[in-house]
Amino acid sequence: MKINKMKILILAMVAGLIMATGCTASQTAKTAETAKVDTSWMFHDIVDAAFVKANIAVPMPENVILIDARPYKGKYVSGYIPGAVSIPFSQFDKNINLLPTDKNALLIYYCQGVKCKLSHKSAKKAEKLGYTNVKVYAKGYPEWISLKGNYGAFEAEHVAKLIADNNTVIVDARPLKTKFVKGHIPTAVSIPFSQFDTLKGKLPRDINTPIVFYCGGLKCRLSHKSAVKAIEMGYTNVKVFDKGYPEWKKMYGASKEAMQVTAGTVEGSIDIKRFKDILEKDPESILLIDVRDKDEFAKGSFKTAVNIPVEDLEPKIKDLSDKKPVVFVCSTGARSGEAFYMVKDVRESLKDVYYVEAEIDFKSDGTFVIKEPK
Amino acid sequence: MFKKYMSTSMVILFLLVSFSMAFASEGPGGNDRKGKYTYRKVYKACAKTGGVESATPKISPADKTMGQWQEIFENKNFDEFGCMDNWSVLPDKDILDIYSYFYNHASDSPSPATCK
Repeated sequence: MKINKMKILILAMVAGLIMATGCTASQTAKTAETAKVDTSWMFHDIVDAAFVKANIAVPMPENVILIDARPYKGKYVSGYIPGAVSIPFSQFDKNINLLPTDKNALLIYYCQGVKCKLSHKSAKKAEKLGYTNVKVYAKGYPEWISLKGNYGAFEAEHVAKLIADNNTVIVDARPLKTKFVKGHIPTAVSIPFSQFDTLKGKLPRDINTPIVFYCGGLKCRLSHKSAVKAIEMGYTNVKVFDKGYPEWKKMYGASKEAMQVTAGTVEGSIDIKRFKDILEKDPESILLIDVRDKDEFAKGSFKTAVNIPVEDLEPKIKDLSDKKPVVFVCSTGARSGEAFYMVKDVRESLKDVYYVEAEIDFKSDGTFVIKEPK
Repeated sequence: MFKKYMSTSMVILFLLVSFSMAFASEGPGGNDRKGKYTYRKVYKACAKTGGVESATPKISPADKTMGQWQEIFENKNFDEFGCMDNWSVLPDKDILDIYSYFYNHASDSPSPATCK
């Protein structure tokens, strides 16, 4: 009897075990089946960060395009893989013209990580268009930016925001004399890559300070090389503005380059040829102050000039903007020269100040004749 | 002999005249634009301390000829300007600039000063 009870107990345990294992096996099979279903939305050709890195360069090879399929405003603007172009999936059909004409070109799509479907959907569409070499970097930007030694890139509008926030160091990696002094992004400091090692002391002490390097655009490597060096130094928040100064000029105007004023031979005077050039091409780039009397000004002056008679100038000097070069004009250079020396005396810190040492004959129709001093 | 002496004298005279004319046309050599500002600044300071009634100077470069200004400035005779306390502390460089302003815009200069 006892043996029978034992047999029943053992049989029950065995049956229980069989049921338990059978159940687990069936659950595993179900999970695998579910996972298989879940990955069906993915593109068939997935690559990793190493593949991306191996195929991108500065400048980008002609037969390779790295495409950010995320929304432009919310994502791309504030961080993307350097060299990537923005073709959000929602805008795919409108931006087919941005894809290479060569159907054998390498197209690498990415978006916001493994759960993001935008890059996969875009890749499928591209393949339907006839592209034969399409890949998806599925782990996308979140993985890219987390990998040691990697850095992201910003759009110009994000750089503008960083400048406004005033907590990021913007570094111009181009040569000082031939590029930086002719025009640069506001607040940028000059650390030409060729002098990086000697000038790196200009970088912030706090290694967590955000730093953005830029140079002469997508074909320029200087910002990238500088970013790599900064990362090697231990800086933790390094980015590049890879479209660089050409893009900045396009978005926010010519900045200092067009405003560049050349001094004349007489102390404080502006080079007359340069002055004529500025009036013709970019008069808004300077603050032009006509220091003649109001009645003289009313009879004719430069279109962009403001009138502050020299007698009224002194109390207003403290309010003069330092955002643009200040150029004083009158009809002979006497009053404008006086204005120049007044500024030098009253507000020495205002450095970009000039006057026109020439006779100017203003006509009532807005035209003028400038006679250079002999 | 006399002819040779005369021709040599003429050459020397010509050279002397040429040099003096060349130097005369250069004027005192200061910065007349800066001089104008400094001159007005002297009177503003003088008016503030009650030395003159108006901060606008009453004497203009066009009130005299180049020669007259030369005499005044070379002799440092600034009595008619008034504000002697202010003139006496001016550095030589500032006086030279003011001199250049008066000389270059004297009544017989190529560009006499207007009331401005």
